[in-house]
Amino acid sequence: MVTSDSSGTAPETPARGFLGRTFFNTDHKVIGLNYLWLALISVFLGMVLSLLMRIHLAWPGAHLPFVSRLANTPEHYGALAMLHGSLMIFIVLTAAPQAGFGNYFLPLQMGARKMAFPTLNLLSFWATAASLLGITTAFFLPAESGLKLWVVSVALFCVASLLNALNFSVTAIDLRTKGMTLPRMPLTAWAWFLTAILSSLIFSILLAACALLLSDRVVGTHFFTAPQALMGSMPYSAPQRIPFLWQRLFWFFAQAEVYVAMLPCLGITSHLLSTFARKPVWALRAVVLALGGVGLFGFCIWGYHMFESGLNPHVPLVFASLAESLGLPAVILLVSWLGTLWKGKIQLTTAMLFAIGFISLFISGGLSGLFLARHDLALVSVSDEFVTGHFHLVMGVAATFAILGALFFWFPKMFGRRLNETLGKLHFWLTFAGVYCVFMPMHWLGLIAHSRPAGGNPLAAAVAGATVRNFITGATIVTIAAQGIFLFNFLWSIWWGAKDNEKNPWRATTLEWSTASPPPFDNFGAAEPVVHRGAYEYGVSDSAEDFVPQHRAPACPERNEGVLL
Amino acid sequence: MPGAPVLDEIKIVIEDIGKGGGKEPPSGGDGGGDGGKHGRPGPPSPRRYYTGIALGIVSILMFFMALASAYLVQRATSSRWVPVHLPVILWANTMILLASSATMEQARKRLSRADVSGFRTLWLATTMLGLAFLAGQLVAWRLLVAQGIYVSTNQGSSFFYIFTAVHGVHLLGGISALIYVARRNFETAKVSLSIAAEVTSYYWHFMDGLWLFLLALLYLGK
Repeated sequence: MVTSDSSGTAPETPARGFLGRTFFNTDHKVIGLNYLWLALISVFLGMVLSLLMRIHLAWPGAHLPFVSRLANTPEHYGALAMLHGSLMIFIVLTAAPQAGFGNYFLPLQMGARKMAFPTLNLLSFWATAASLLGITTAFFLPAESGLKLWVVSVALFCVASLLNALNFSVTAIDLRTKGMTLPRMPLTAWAWFLTAILSSLIFSILLAACALLLSDRVVGTHFFTAPQALMGSMPYSAPQRIPFLWQRLFWFFAQAEVYVAMLPCLGITSHLLSTFARKPVWALRAVVLALGGVGLFGFCIWGYHMFESGLNPHVPLVFASLAESLGLPAVILLVSWLGTLWKGKIQLTTAMLFAIGFISLFISGGLSGLFLARHDLALVSVSDEFVTGHFHLVMGVAATFAILGALFFWFPKMFGRRLNETLGKLHFWLTFAGVYCVFMPMHWLGLIAHSRPAGGNPLAAAVAGATVRNFITGATIVTIAAQGIFLFNFLWSIWWGAKDNEKNPWRATTLEWSTASPPPFDNFGAAEPVVHRGAYEYGVSDSAEDFVPQHRAPACPERNEGVLL
Repeated sequence: MPGAPVLDEIKIVIEDIGKGGGKEPPSGGDGGGDGGKHGRPGPPSPRRYYTGIALGIVSILMFFMALASAYLVQRATSSRWVPVHLPVILWANTMILLASSATMEQARKRLSRADVSGFRTLWLATTMLGLAFLAGQLVAWRLLVAQGIYVSTNQGSSFFYIFTAVHGVHLLGGISALIYVARRNFETAKVSLSIAAEVTSYYWHFMDGLWLFLLALLYLGK
């Protein structure tokens, strides 16, 4: 590592006081961890809500202690589903992989000491925290005021995400250290960067939709609802067409939002596979292009959620083909993952297990997605529960696996301790089996619901459906109980886990592993990191070890510099 | 975001006044291995402010495009679209806003000739014109209200009020940036006055162009 004269660097002092160190700290590492804490609270809250929903579905008459106020009315069931969805999508799936791990590790991997705009970063975090508070509070308010608060909270989350995206993009573009050229960026950093660009485009759309919705609810405009006075005089079809405006704006955001949540997870998976298979990422440049392709197609296929929303009949064809062309980057990623694993010296750490679990869920969820991308098939053969199963497998659970893999991977760097591997593996296998038991039968339920009119005994189908539903509820209870193992492992390991002050326990190549664990306030101390090579030099035979970290200078810099670029 | 009070890390480059804006900022990451000629490592180049404002403008543009597409869809599909007759004062407001862009460019020209007091006068004039534009927009609202056209009267009027309101809020952000640049003591700041002024001007001209777009949309929407 080249150590330059660092006297010019302004002396940095860590923040003082408990609040200064935790909640009002502009250090990207503290902010990243705070995001992860928010996500942890939300994910457990969200799981409890899903458990309540399953219990309502299996035993509609059951009265639960403590939550009997949430009686079994359809409105309350709807509110449960809404809170579950808002928490999981926004605070967990959007914030944890991007704002959480991204905040912590993007500057470290870029060799930067800070994010581009640290105060703005803190502001985004606080807006996210306020949004979580608002979304949760809205659940307990009466419907009308609750919905207003929900819209405001979601708008606040949009603002937070936009500021966050701005910060990430500028950090990735302008704060890279010496030698960190674009081709040398790790795939995680690429994924965070591309996600930031996608976020900065789509959260504006949701913000605009929220502004219109709020103005409908507060100042009495009629952007999404037909004016009462006109309802009677209009032809029947006219008022029905108006909500489509909301659908269009919403799906323009929501379809791309799936990829905002997935892109960082795809990057993390590639990164983990390469590290633990001790092999370079297979077809690295194609993977970067594929990540970009996922973002681009994801941005363009919003229309295929609106097959029934009064678009020109030829339009769904365009969107369906765009949606199916998303298979191209997906296949490139898949082939690269398998190519990376092929003949690798695979180390089955818990982080690696979660990365491989991600691939399994990605394939299973992706295959049912093929049915849904055919709009003719989707219309006649499947119902809501098929979509629920597909969506949860490919987005919810797969992304959660990537988040957990990232947590097991980076935990030693963040805390200087290790998570317990035995508990981790137990947690992995129970969760892996559990989520398949929960979400695969949902696909069957979706198919059963449509097979009824085609013949067979409707009563038998209903009975079969009830059995499957009870099975899903049982599996949900077991899977959620298994998360207790993780919670215990996580909290215990933060304070009492096995100490691991080694800088680079996984023998990984990227810059965050070249500094202390946990990293000092200014990330790299006095020395300025300089990057000399690509991010995935594993399995190198002429080295003392089987990898070469990015910051290690080549033996003959003049001769090798051109080749390594 | 313009004028974000985050301007740190960069050592003061007040001498930079006279060289006029940072059109050619020092190369950052892309430069690869040759960026380390200057003695100090690390302090990120001011290029991040340009990148930041460019990306911020793209985001804001998406926001307004979403509103504009909602407007176009509603106008095309609504069977009872009632157009809004734009108050005449809007044209005066538009001229004021265009004039503010001109004074801002003049101010930056003065700054590049190291005429700081001339810069400050014209910068203040820009701020005043911006405030005058906002006041004019409020007058336009009052005029419509006097005709009995409220935000919830019909879809056309709803869009008129929403467009002017969200544009006004964004312009208010620009005015805050103008005031921030005028009041900030750049001798102790870590970014040069000319860079702050240039970045603010990008946002301001964008707000200017955005207003022309919205006005055209509303005018042609008749």
